Amino acid sequence: MAATAAVAIHQFAECITCHAWSPDQSMIAFCPNNNEVHIYKLFTDKWEKLHVLAKHDQIVSGIDWSRSSNKIVTVSHDRNSYVWTQEGSDWVPTLVILKLNRAALCVQWSPKENKFAVGSGAKSVCICYYEQENNWWISKVIRKRHESSVTSLAWHPNNIYLATTSTDGKCRVFSTFIKGVDTRGSQSSTATDSKFGEQIAQLDLSSTWAFGVRWSASGKTLAYAGHNSMIYFVDEVELAPAAQNLALRDLPLRDVLFVSESVAIGVGFDCNPMIFAADDTGLWSFVRFLDERKATPSTSKASQLSEALGKLYGQSKGTSSDTVEPSKPRGGAHENCITCIVPLTKGRDGTIKRFSTSGLDGKIVVWDLENHITMAK
Amino acid sequence: MASSAAYPDADENLEAIISRIEQKSRKIETLLKQSKPVEALKTALEGSPLKTRDERCKSANWIVVHRAMMAIRDVDGMFNSLDPEYYDILMKYLYRGLSTGDRPTCDQCLKIHEKLTEKAGLGCILRSLADTVNTV
Repeated sequence: MAATAAVAIHQFAECITCHAWSPDQSMIAFCPNNNEVHIYKLFTDKWEKLHVLAKHDQIVSGIDWSRSSNKIVTVSHDRNSYVWTQEGSDWVPTLVILKLNRAALCVQWSPKENKFAVGSGAKSVCICYYEQENNWWISKVIRKRHESSVTSLAWHPNNIYLATTSTDGKCRVFSTFIKGVDTRGSQSSTATDSKFGEQIAQLDLSSTWAFGVRWSASGKTLAYAGHNSMIYFVDEVELAPAAQNLALRDLPLRDVLFVSESVAIGVGFDCNPMIFAADDTGLWSFVRFLDERKATPSTSKASQLSEALGKLYGQSKGTSSDTVEPSKPRGGAHENCITCIVPLTKGRDGTIKRFSTSGLDGKIVVWDLENHITMAK
Repeated sequence: MASSAAYPDADENLEAIISRIEQKSRKIETLLKQSKPVEALKTALEGSPLKTRDERCKSANWIVVHRAMMAIRDVDGMFNSLDPEYYDILMKYLYRGLSTGDRPTCDQCLKIHEKLTEKAGLGCILRSLADTVNTV
């Protein structure tokens, strides 16, 4: 009998917008739906609040913690971004001038951690890099192409290509090549030959808002979620995009994570991580929900729904009680929409064994995939 | 469940669309006389003018779908022979039916809606709400 996949559930706040882990995973940074970032550390058995980073004026919408350089980057609806460096026991902020006139919505360090990207409501993406001479971060903006807010970002392993999703329904891949920061090495020539801001590909698969874009570890496959309860898997985006549109049975996803080249996890409004897997031919399909839930209540969601609709249109079913009961608590790890999924530990085969999720219920849940997924590759 | 791309071009001539709907209508009448309401519904749903913005075409197709839908007596039996590729578009027409406010239409739509939601899930409802490109 397999143990439940959720190995740790922490109720940190009433609602969490985003979270990130320290390089050694002893500390966790998150925004409790206000203008602060709280850093908690695990002391033996209890989580203690260690730091409060309070520089932003509005909700912190994105946090990323770099693995090697141990820097935290935060972005907020106040249109600013700070890079926090640890000096002794304090976190010292450095303001990064993004020149935005709308909220910043998401942020990601690049694989080499020499750049970070910020998606904004100003229909633009800011690529920030560090200039040694002046000791500050410079922002270069990709202003073209996006017709609406940029909701999520993902860096390709080559440190140059950046995928974005937007509320205009499209997923795009741009080059973020910056002279002096990126080198025209001997590797992937197409990437290093590209110009900054050049659009490599545009995927118009969803007519609704797009979220949660992610590359697989090799950069071969790209996945993103549509608000129309769809998930899209695209291979070879650069050359000849081959897309698979998967219609979901249930509610839409907000974020996606590749656990291996052929297994991905989607999280969203069902409050339960969904496992997707590709077979030997590369065909993706939904496998199952990760979390075990208690047995469904006597009145199914469907009949509750049509009973409610029936009352609306004056039709009486006459079978169950007069009042329509609100949906019963699901009994799973998360009680509200999961908005963020972050990888934790990798196994020796390079696949992700543990990841964490945070959501609108204010919980951060750590999941372990050992015994729950048999990894073929 | 991969999305099917069996819907005609938006650029297609409106007259051509209308005449195709008229053809469908005749075929559906025949099928209904032969007591094949599920086949009639499938015929009505196929080739629906989703991408065009012309209201006449959409209304004409709705009338045809409505005719077939109202003829269905055994809703559970219908789902035994209705392929999943029709679920999304049927859901869209159910909501169009519910929006008419007409008592018999709404009764029938609600009956089908309950079973369709059980079969196809909430995602089907999401797609009918969110899709602003393919409308009925």
